[in-house]
Amino acid sequence: MSNNVGTNTSAIARKELKKLESATASISPFRRALQRFARNPVAMIATGYLVLMILVAIFGPFIMPADPTAQTSIPFLPPSGEHWLGTDDLGRDTASRLIAGAIVSVRAGFQTVGLALLVAVPLGLIAGYFAGQVDNIFMRIMDAINSFPALILALVIAAVLGPGLDNAMLAIAIVLVPGIMRLVRASTLAVAQETYVEASRSIGTPIWYILFRRILPSVLSPVIVAVTLLLGIALIAEASLSFLGLGTQPPDPSWGNMLKRGYAFMLTQPFQMIPAGVAIALAVLSFNLVGDALRDALGLVEQPTRVAGKRKLGMTVVDRADRVEVADQDRADLETSNEPGVIHEPQPLLSVQNLAVEFAKNNHRLTVLSGVSFDVKEKEIMALVGESGSGKSVTSLAIMRLLPSPPARITGGRAMFEGKDLLDLDFAAMQKVRGNDISMVFQDPMSSLNPTYTIGNQLIESVRLHQAVSAKEARLRAIELLDLVRIPAAAERMNDFPHQLSGGMRQRVLIAMALVNRPKLLIADEPTTALDVTVQAQVLSLLHSLREELGMAVIFVTHDLGVVADIADRVSVMYAGQIVEQSPVHELFSEPRHPYTKKLLTAIPQSSMKGERLATIPGIVPPPGKWPTGCRFKDRCDFAVEACGTAPVQLELLSDTRTSRCIRAHELQTIEVA
Amino acid sequence: MLAMILRRAVTMVPVLLLVSLLVFGLMALLPGDPAVTIAGGPNASLERIESVREQLGLNDPFFVQYFRWLGEALQFNFGESLVTGKSVSAGIVTALPATLSISIGAIIFGIVIGVPVGVLSGMRAGSSLDRSLIFGAVLGIAIPNFWLAMLLVLLFGITLAWLPAVGYVQFAADPIEWLRTITMPSIALGTFIAASLARQIRGELSEVMQRSYIRTAWAKGAAPRRVVLKHAMKNAAIPAVTVLGVQLGGLLGGTVIIEQIFALPGLGTYLLGAITATDMPIIMGVTTIFVIVYMVVSLLMDVVYAILNPKVRIS
Repeated sequence: MSNNVGTNTSAIARKELKKLESATASISPFRRALQRFARNPVAMIATGYLVLMILVAIFGPFIMPADPTAQTSIPFLPPSGEHWLGTDDLGRDTASRLIAGAIVSVRAGFQTVGLALLVAVPLGLIAGYFAGQVDNIFMRIMDAINSFPALILALVIAAVLGPGLDNAMLAIAIVLVPGIMRLVRASTLAVAQETYVEASRSIGTPIWYILFRRILPSVLSPVIVAVTLLLGIALIAEASLSFLGLGTQPPDPSWGNMLKRGYAFMLTQPFQMIPAGVAIALAVLSFNLVGDALRDALGLVEQPTRVAGKRKLGMTVVDRADRVEVADQDRADLETSNEPGVIHEPQPLLSVQNLAVEFAKNNHRLTVLSGVSFDVKEKEIMALVGESGSGKSVTSLAIMRLLPSPPARITGGRAMFEGKDLLDLDFAAMQKVRGNDISMVFQDPMSSLNPTYTIGNQLIESVRLHQAVSAKEARLRAIELLDLVRIPAAAERMNDFPHQLSGGMRQRVLIAMALVNRPKLLIADEPTTALDVTVQAQVLSLLHSLREELGMAVIFVTHDLGVVADIADRVSVMYAGQIVEQSPVHELFSEPRHPYTKKLLTAIPQSSMKGERLATIPGIVPPPGKWPTGCRFKDRCDFAVEACGTAPVQLELLSDTRTSRCIRAHELQTIEVA
Repeated sequence: MLAMILRRAVTMVPVLLLVSLLVFGLMALLPGDPAVTIAGGPNASLERIESVREQLGLNDPFFVQYFRWLGEALQFNFGESLVTGKSVSAGIVTALPATLSISIGAIIFGIVIGVPVGVLSGMRAGSSLDRSLIFGAVLGIAIPNFWLAMLLVLLFGITLAWLPAVGYVQFAADPIEWLRTITMPSIALGTFIAASLARQIRGELSEVMQRSYIRTAWAKGAAPRRVVLKHAMKNAAIPAVTVLGVQLGGLLGGTVIIEQIFALPGLGTYLLGAITATDMPIIMGVTTIFVIVYMVVSLLMDVVYAILNPKVRIS
């Protein structure tokens, strides 16, 4: 659930956590990464292949069927029992030559990368640690080396040193240095500012000790990944130089010069170029796969999790088991409404009934919402209130079908809007509702606007998605809306990019964007949470007056009861994926009918309580999957009795306007806290 | 924008100077004495060799020689080949078109294949389509370009005979034939670019698709095409441009080996011949040109980056 409600906050939390991990322990995160790595079947196969290749290289001389340079057989024999991969143009055993080539490739890989590390790691540590002038000089030199296309530089160096394997490896090692150094330097720059390094420095630890024992371990992860990938690159580079005649010299075999000979006979003997080519490709593929798997295991990049379930782009999948039942209910509703003599309230604008949502997580399903029902009348502000984790954001996103599938899935209920069920609509129909009849304002104005387009562009887009007007008219409409949300010099602001505006201004832009097509319903998901208090008040009063001016209904999602008192007409309180109490706003504050609401009310900070300790609700909302049987609040409730834990509690109608999901709702006002 | 380009161009100057010094320094380390080569080989008389040395200024101090070379190089004059005596600049001008043709061809192939694959796979990250496309990309990265080139020649050049197996026809001589000769080299070189671009874009796009502003775009009522291509792609393309820039170095290096396989008369062939013959003026000239081409292309990448990213453009 957290991955769509607070993407940014959770990402920050993850980063913090990672920092902490790398700073405090050096073994356990690596062990955890290793376990993750071992669970990746592809990576394990690739590792197995590499281990095999290295073993072949080590024991090569003992397992070769024949002398790789001895011209003992007939040229161009096809593969057979005697010559597993046939013979080459001079009658030499191809399998033996391939094994000898493996020795060269493995040596080339490890020696070149090892040599490059030996030079680049200390240089990178020094440049990153001392920064400033030292760093500047080092980086200029590396820039110069880096401005050569790598293979060209290797060629020229190999030319200077003369052809041969050792010289080719030296040339490749030189080419690899800048990349590794840059990587180590960047990680070091970041780590050198950490407090534990500063602490070491202040107690007089020798510099070499700080560099190699304090900093190096924490920059190791990216280096390990890079080394794996570089082994593959070095292997290809050696093969390339040998192919060009500057690496391993005939008659000694290497995969590169075997390919070169194979190419010469391609017309008549195409098989000659297959074994060495496959060998290179498989080795490089394995190094890359292992490198990628290590990167994932070490958590250096965020991989999209593979989740099972129906997949739909931009719309929540609806998969209702209770579909039929709802239809029956529909008929029943119709029948009762035809009864003469019954006075009906006007149809609500939006009627959510028994909404249920599931999230797929690690191959099992978690119910995050169950049986959520509420109405929103025309021009009404309905507040949806609860702690984080109560399901209020999920509810609002589910109505708009904005929860991503997978992992989300709507498993039951209806969302009737102007006579049609939003959960029945296909994408094209939903597209006409979104941003037009129903609009949404999100929690985080910093990240909810596209950073690469001007706000004018994004506003005009909103207009033209739903109105057939010219660009010029759309622009005027956009400016008009910016005026409406009290943005000064609106016309000029149109050309600004989001990063040029303050948080409060961005939230106003988002509100303008939501209102531009005069929606009948606005869903505001914690629109003021990310803003500071003065801006918060401005945005609230803006929303309040806009409701009057435009005559729209609002679902106001918030965790802040103080805000609710200011703005709402009616309140629905949510807890652990359920609605626990519904009430007009004044009655809720004067006489809460659910223990949770009562608790929430005492937790509102008030200026009259200056000096007193702020009341909090002990414990946290139980996460989906950990809901107790019976009342979901009972573990934190002051009024809980044994009966609370036996069966699920139903939402009970207390009066025309109030409901509560508490078996003691009626006695709540008369009893004292147990 | 113009100021940014100028600023970047100015920072290139010291790097280029350092590069030229590096190139020149490397040449000084080359085995063999150019004077001996010019004087007619190891059997030339000592007086003859000495007079050649004097004539070429090889007895001057290192830095005098360096600045003389640099002064000439700035006027695009890299001297004459020690072996043939022909102008190196003229040789470069003759060889450049083939190399540029296959390099640009490779970039085009890389973008045309890599971007759509990355987009298709990134917008449905985790699906089976994504997994098969990415498997293809992983293969494309692992296959060495010269082996791929050989396989292409075998399949399309020899077995099917759709395209000429080797050789080069100038654009001016026959545009169609030119296109046919550069097709296979471009694919061989461009596969790596396509594969790594696809992977990069896929990774970025799948992450961008989860950002809040993408949810905003859905909430506006935008269609998938608009959300992916307008809102997500521009953000996902920014890091992809950086990747493309880095890979161009590998691309230019790769031309040397690909030109050998397809027998193209490009810069790589020119350079490799010079290396075999220890023909210093050519090695220095061609290397310098490679560096300049690489730097200019990197600058172009920075410009594209700035166009895509308003934060860079404005500040």
